[in-house]
Amino acid sequence: MAIDQTSKPALAVGCRWGGSQEDPMLLFPEGAMKVQGTGLAILELCDGQRTFPEIVEELHRRYLGSDEQRIREDAAKFLEQLHEKRIVDF
Amino acid sequence: MLANPLALIAEITHRCPLHCVYCSNPLELSAANSELKTEDWQRVFAEAAKMGILHLHLTGGEPLARTDLEELVASAHQARLYTNLITSGMGLSRQRLARLVQAGLDHIQLSFQDSQPDRADWIAGTKSHAHKVELAGWIREHRIAFTANLVVHRQNLDDLEDTIKFLERLRPDRIEIAHTQYYGWALENRAALMPTAAQLEKALAVVAAAAARLKGSVRIDSVVPDYHAQFPKACMGGWGQRLMLINPKGEALPCHAAGVIPGLVFDNVRERSLPSIWNESSAFQKFRGEDWMQEPCRTCERRTEDFGGCRCQAFLLTGDAAATDPVCSLASTHHVILETLRQSPTNIVSPLSLSENWKYRPNPSRNRP
Repeated sequence: MAIDQTSKPALAVGCRWGGSQEDPMLLFPEGAMKVQGTGLAILELCDGQRTFPEIVEELHRRYLGSDEQRIREDAAKFLEQLHEKRIVDF
Repeated sequence: MLANPLALIAEITHRCPLHCVYCSNPLELSAANSELKTEDWQRVFAEAAKMGILHLHLTGGEPLARTDLEELVASAHQARLYTNLITSGMGLSRQRLARLVQAGLDHIQLSFQDSQPDRADWIAGTKSHAHKVELAGWIREHRIAFTANLVVHRQNLDDLEDTIKFLERLRPDRIEIAHTQYYGWALENRAALMPTAAQLEKALAVVAAAAARLKGSVRIDSVVPDYHAQFPKACMGGWGQRLMLINPKGEALPCHAAGVIPGLVFDNVRERSLPSIWNESSAFQKFRGEDWMQEPCRTCERRTEDFGGCRCQAFLLTGDAAATDPVCSLASTHHVILETLRQSPTNIVSPLSLSENWKYRPNPSRNRP
């Protein structure tokens, strides 16, 4: 499923943070995923309140000098992949 | 350096109201009065989390048979373990489910035997199907992950397509289609459970089609059967590499079936800490790495992928736990598997004639023998 302007991504039911502060892991049924860097930045903004454009805007603000279009594409691809794995809902 | 295990499987009791013919519990079940106490398990969970274990699978027998289950879940949650309850759901009321969720349960895995009540009850050896369906509705009232699990075998594979549709209607997040693995009670009943090659081929296609159809809404995971495969499964991700199992009386095992291998000594969590067992226990060391391997495994390029297959299966079918898993087409004992497949009837046995022949898993005794 494609993410759109009104999507409010959030961690899916049964998916939560674990691991340690330095080494955060996403935990879900029968699995765990290490999340770092921009992936972590994206997922931390997925609180079910912010819309996808708001998340992109916030990322653009944080990563000064980055190309907003590229952020939008990368974040959409990342979240859609996680949606397929039932880790993120939107 | 030895990595930490990722998951802890806690068989908190062997008591169970079901008598499934494919149960993976050992033939020698732990007696009720030999079970670890609440505080033993609580200490184990704290140690597990501290050594870096992420997932806890509470299983049995039927974990609900323990009246302290809510307390156990609360302790696991407090330790920040991702807690999964593997259950038949028998006797689970709406209220107790709510208490378990309140205590911090992350995931519930509910087992189904078939989509048809009479057939399901026949496989489980008890009337349980109707309650499971009702329970599935209650589970969806909570924000926890829900897996519907189905063990498949010759007696229910022909209905797989309908059964998956039935499971879909229960609105799980995940459906697990697990082909019977032949250990414990399943090995006892193998002649009645082994699928035909044609059934298997069809089943793989049905599961693949369902996974494609449900992509993004229900995750479909399947455990594939190994007797029909060319190479063995990477059992437990390698002996003593990723998983640790504690049985009801506190013994730490590298897998569900390891108790069948003669000569292994299992350390008990009553006497040793979890990290010391993981690092030093002779049972965990026994088949770690590659030193124990014989030919053809020793020089096989697949040895880092499948670790020579399953040690328990090697023992059960060849009498040598260090042999190549006979499932492997390169094994000198592979004929044992071919012979078993040849002997399996190609027809579906009728339930009535079968019931006289198969062995339901009993309940463990109350007292230690």
